Amino acid sequence: MNSETMLMMLIALPFAGACLAALFPPNARNAETWAAALVTLGAVVLSASLFPAVATGTPVRLNIEWLPTLGLSFSLRMDGFAWLFSMLVTCIGFLVVIYSRYYMSPDDAIPRFYAFFLAFMGAMLGIILSGNLILLVVFWELTSIISFMLIGYWYQKADARDGARMSLTITGVGGLGLLAGVLLIGHIVGSYDLDAVLDSGDLIRSHPLYVPAICLVLLGAFTKSAQFPFHFWLPNAMAAPTPVSAFLHSATMVKAGVFLMARLWPVLGGTYEWFWLTGFAGAASLLLGAYFAIFQRDIKGLLAYSTISHLGLITLLLSLGSPLGAVAAIFHMMNHATFKASLFMAAGIIDHESGTRDMQKLGGLFKLMPYTATLAMVASAAMAGVPLLNGFLSKEMFFAEAIETHADSILDTAAPYVAVIASAFAVTYSIRFIHAVFFGERPADLPREPHEPPFLMRLPIQLLVLACLVIGIIPAITVGSFLHIAVVSVLGADTPAYSLAVWHGLTVPLGMSVIALIGGALLYVLLRHYLAHCEEGPPYFRRLKGQRIFERVLVFVSWRFARLVEATLGTRRMQQQLRLLVAVSLVAAAIPFYNSNFGLGLFELGQIDIPFALLWVIGIACAVGAAHQAKFHRLVALILLGGAGVVTCITFVWLSAPDLAVTQLLVEIVTAVLILLGLRWLPKRWEDTELGRAPISTKLRRGRDLLVAAVAGLGMTLLSYAVMTRPSPDTISGFFLRKAYEEGGGRNVVNVILVDFRGFDTFGEITVLGIVALTVFALFRRFRPAPDTIESPEQQRIQAATDEERSDRITGQTVSDYLLVPSVIMQWLFPVIIVFAAYLFLRGHDLPGGGFAAGVAMSAAFILQYLAAGTVWVEDRLRILPVNWIGLGLLIAGCVGIGSWVFGYPFLTSYSQYIDLPVIGEIPAATAILFDLGVFSLVVGATVLMLIVFAHQSIRRLRAAKISTTTIEEVA
Amino acid sequence: MAGPIDITGAMITTPTPAGDWLAVVPVALPIITGAALLMLRKRLHWQAPIAVATLAVVFLATLALLVRVWTFGTVVMTMGRWLPPFGISFTVDLLGALFACTASLVALVCSVAAVQSVARPARRYGYFPFLLLTAVGVNGAFLTGDIFNLYVWFEVFLISSFGLLVVGSTRAQLDGTLKYGVLNLIGTTLFLIATGYLYGIFGTLNMADVIRKVPAVEGAPLMTLATLYLAAFSMKAAAFPVQAWLPASYHTPNVVTSAFFGGVLTKIGVYALLRVLVLLFPLQLAGLSGVIGWVAAATMVLGALGALAQSDIRRMVGFLVISGVGVMLAGLAVGTGPALAGGIFYAMHSMIALTALYLLAGLVAERAGSSSLHVVAGLSSAPVLIIAAFILMLSIAGLPPGSGLWPKIMVVQAALEAQHGWLTAAVLLSSLLTVITLGRFFLFVFWRPPVADGLGERPKRLMSPGPMLALTFLAVVMGLYPEPFVRAASHAADGLLQPDAYVRAVFGEQG
Repeated sequence: MNSETMLMMLIALPFAGACLAALFPPNARNAETWAAALVTLGAVVLSASLFPAVATGTPVRLNIEWLPTLGLSFSLRMDGFAWLFSMLVTCIGFLVVIYSRYYMSPDDAIPRFYAFFLAFMGAMLGIILSGNLILLVVFWELTSIISFMLIGYWYQKADARDGARMSLTITGVGGLGLLAGVLLIGHIVGSYDLDAVLDSGDLIRSHPLYVPAICLVLLGAFTKSAQFPFHFWLPNAMAAPTPVSAFLHSATMVKAGVFLMARLWPVLGGTYEWFWLTGFAGAASLLLGAYFAIFQRDIKGLLAYSTISHLGLITLLLSLGSPLGAVAAIFHMMNHATFKASLFMAAGIIDHESGTRDMQKLGGLFKLMPYTATLAMVASAAMAGVPLLNGFLSKEMFFAEAIETHADSILDTAAPYVAVIASAFAVTYSIRFIHAVFFGERPADLPREPHEPPFLMRLPIQLLVLACLVIGIIPAITVGSFLHIAVVSVLGADTPAYSLAVWHGLTVPLGMSVIALIGGALLYVLLRHYLAHCEEGPPYFRRLKGQRIFERVLVFVSWRFARLVEATLGTRRMQQQLRLLVAVSLVAAAIPFYNSNFGLGLFELGQIDIPFALLWVIGIACAVGAAHQAKFHRLVALILLGGAGVVTCITFVWLSAPDLAVTQLLVEIVTAVLILLGLRWLPKRWEDTELGRAPISTKLRRGRDLLVAAVAGLGMTLLSYAVMTRPSPDTISGFFLRKAYEEGGGRNVVNVILVDFRGFDTFGEITVLGIVALTVFALFRRFRPAPDTIESPEQQRIQAATDEERSDRITGQTVSDYLLVPSVIMQWLFPVIIVFAAYLFLRGHDLPGGGFAAGVAMSAAFILQYLAAGTVWVEDRLRILPVNWIGLGLLIAGCVGIGSWVFGYPFLTSYSQYIDLPVIGEIPAATAILFDLGVFSLVVGATVLMLIVFAHQSIRRLRAAKISTTTIEEVA
Repeated sequence: MAGPIDITGAMITTPTPAGDWLAVVPVALPIITGAALLMLRKRLHWQAPIAVATLAVVFLATLALLVRVWTFGTVVMTMGRWLPPFGISFTVDLLGALFACTASLVALVCSVAAVQSVARPARRYGYFPFLLLTAVGVNGAFLTGDIFNLYVWFEVFLISSFGLLVVGSTRAQLDGTLKYGVLNLIGTTLFLIATGYLYGIFGTLNMADVIRKVPAVEGAPLMTLATLYLAAFSMKAAAFPVQAWLPASYHTPNVVTSAFFGGVLTKIGVYALLRVLVLLFPLQLAGLSGVIGWVAAATMVLGALGALAQSDIRRMVGFLVISGVGVMLAGLAVGTGPALAGGIFYAMHSMIALTALYLLAGLVAERAGSSSLHVVAGLSSAPVLIIAAFILMLSIAGLPPGSGLWPKIMVVQAALEAQHGWLTAAVLLSSLLTVITLGRFFLFVFWRPPVADGLGERPKRLMSPGPMLALTFLAVVMGLYPEPFVRAASHAADGLLQPDAYVRAVFGEQG
């Protein structure tokens, strides 16, 4: 197997394992563990066997085309640094899997745990091995997401949910920042390939976008590595099961941030900005983390803050810009992972065996679990930096770097003091952990009786502690070569000379270590009694909790602020929405219009045709009057609307478009009748009779609306004027005029346009008409008249009252005999109108008329029947099924369109021919007439359907609701 | 009567290849079957199968159309055999084919979901014909190459969507329908007015013809025209500040209807913006890009904030729809090829992911008996829903392995290249707010222990999660293997920026 394949397998194996793990039955704890252990062990073996290839000095690379359009390939790259990290991740992963077998309870959902655990390992390896920055970000986000699922593993607990949500949010911010930062770097370099980026250090550092880029990248790194001020999610993530904490929050995920900083250190580091950003965050995390750790009651809380502090140390080392600092940083990443993972597992054992992690409740466990206690003590000593352990070595390197001057500034001057103080704190919390848990009195009220855990649960800790010892005593022999290839792969030619040894002679760093050890121990002695009884949290900072600030901010943003924004900028009221819409279009049209300085052509009075202008004055007056009266006098408004419509009709006639005029007239009639029928059911409105009754605010609002409407109307006028006074363009209408007869087969150009030239538009529009009718039908399904509209109209009541007063009349007689003669005429008109409609239809292609006009005329016949005889009479005799007519119309029109397929011509191609009919004579017959038939059928169906629906309401109130629903359906 | 007429000056004389009929099928077929369903309205059990079968054929047709466009270039069919620009041309370029194909898929999935979830009265009153006719309008809008015809299809889908909203007939639905209807009618009227001016200036309605004539037009208020179109289509797309109709109405109807609307309808506004502004008025678009950028940023961020403020799941999803529109507008604002490609890809992703999220919201509400986040909790025993919800959360927030990641990266990358730093910030901020919103949704619905007696009645027959899962699966595919989508979107964007091919496809080589 070559090394590329192994690299691919290394990434694929954990994900495949995750899919496999998810398929196990919930109670197969042992089998599941074996499978997971095999997978992780396989990953360890794969990583280890890649060493020879990596040790040659050239990275192992794998490129698979993935997204070439975006310049992104699935490229993996393993150099020494990546190798070291992948060994770390896989080894600790393997140990934690074994540990988890004993830690997790049989009641837990084991498949979910291992599935996410393995997927996390895959994502983490992805970060380490990515050879492309975008790919790195993808894996980076994956770790955030999977850690959300792992922290929330025990989702029944509120703190697990809160912790999961917080870590998702914080690392989410960072992930997005990192994405932006990476895109910036890609923009600067012109490639996202890691090798290309690593080669362009000077280019990046001198680019004007350098500062934003490092700010964004560091935002990602700091949030991930829980660096101040984004540190607070980590202690809250301790709600996760302890194996998760051991893996994610000691060895891997939190290391991703410092990994990235080290990875990009040769490119981004070494500048003043970098120094200040990372130096400040690192120093603050180092000091505050250590200080906060002392005062935790929860063991895991202590370890979490300690992790923050140690990661701060690494960040601080990386801020310095010295190669030796980078060496120390890489070395400390390894060391911290080994001792912190073992300590987390030890904490898990304590929790598991005694039932609590509260150091004020625990004590004296040494006698009960001596092995575990010894292991924990060694690991704590490594954490405290005691000589002969691995923690000591990297801390000495840190001290040595701290006393060097790198960039002359306050931060640099303060560094040695910060280092010593923080180390002293580390000693204090390490002693506290050991002393409070394993020594002192044995408390009586522990939830469980503690005893030593099973051997296999302890084994992972033993191995890790052994590593701490071995590395601490003989570093050069054990890890020297591994560390060296890692360092060389990061630093390249800048690799400094360094020595891994326990004893460097009597140096200043040694002195600092001694001071820290003694100082830390003394501090613990002083604080011992306080710590045994104190509240949770460090003194002076107890109130200033990052977590609480975060929650406040989140609540503010998600609740108050978001609601405020919604209330201010959004509205649920339609009037405001309309006003906004009109205002936006007004502004949208006005500003560019104003800016472009249109000279409106001069208005010449002589051009005005006076009668025509007068006609339009009347029309405008009608329209404005309709708008004015619409609120309180609907009937008046409707009549005025009719006036405006008539003016439009006359205009069409004036401008020689009789066809449009006929159609418009018929449409006006039918719509007026339909609206009249609808008016009946609108709730009543009473005008405020005395002027001045309306409050000022209402008047102001109306005034403002008037202003908006007037300005919008004026703008529309100006715009139309500007467009219409332009020299007329060469329009397509000339073509229509020329071709309508010869090729279109009709003399009525409007009709030919409707059914042939632009028949497709008509096809769409008749569909619209049909749907409108159906929607009206559906809209009235649950219609119940408003209470104040149920009584009969005033006129009918007066007539009925007259009947009652006069003894010779039967009540209701006047109403039923009303307009008797006209009704009879109207009833007789029915066949006449139908013939007229047929006439309109047939002559349509050559003379004014056509399917639409014929359809509307036909529906007028039905309207007359309703007027003449009333709803009940008509419904009893109505044989037309309007919905079917609508369907049929659409069907005919559609099929005519498709029919031209047979002839190999496009949709809706018409074919015209003159045919000789007996009696009638020669008539033009275009297939367009079939299409027109569809139009006719649909128009009749649609208008009659609406008519029935409106008219039926008057019967409905008389009958029980149930019956009426069925009847209306039967009628339609 | 008349002798043989030389028709070459007016009509197409070459026979139409059968493959070009694919362009009309997505419109003609559903009209015909919709009409047939109207005539068969008494036979309720025929309605759903015919509608699903029709939409399946339509989807296959659009897919075939997409392949044809991809292989042979823009497909044109000019109706009635008239030469363009006199007849109405369906001009299907890659952009239109991509949108039509995605929308048809969403329509198909929604029709399958509707089989189970639409109540009898709604079927009796024509739910399935309305659904088919909405699909007609949607497809027509994506396929047409004539701007007045575009208006016609806008009307078709507007009115039939109105019908879909109305068939439920509850009080809240009617209230939502009224707002939806009135505001959209006014927006559409604005579109019509603008088109009237356009005809007044150019004397033609064929978009390819307009492209040819734009350079020659002088002294016309083209900028005003472009802004009018911007206002009209932004309203359709539910962009800030004319977005209010969407949250007012989308949460009211049957959830499948919401899913269809949320997925598809706003994208038509985005599509029309791309089509009209980029293709017809590129110069004016450059002048407007600042405004569009602010609109995009406000839409993204305020949409996400709005989502955060909701306690009703479906209203929350409605705001996420708005927020997503902002990302597409950001692509338009930047206006470069990659930015437009990002916007186009985002639109495709958004159609799929948001439809799925609406369907998921419906499934959740059905199982919990409520759609209020105050009440819904404890659905931890529905692993399928949990996984789907998790994936959709990632998709919509733009995190891996979901489909939203890549288009967002494309838009952000293009915005950075074009030095629009704040637009980048807005995209990322809206992503973050979306993560918070959906994270809260996830925690509340699936992880929070059930509220003691908050759960309402569970219906006996639960809706199948199948349609939602199909779309979720597609979202994952788009996230894991985005290359074909990225490439298609990039080509579509190039086609918009270099309209020569579009014009040539309509007018032949002399164009």
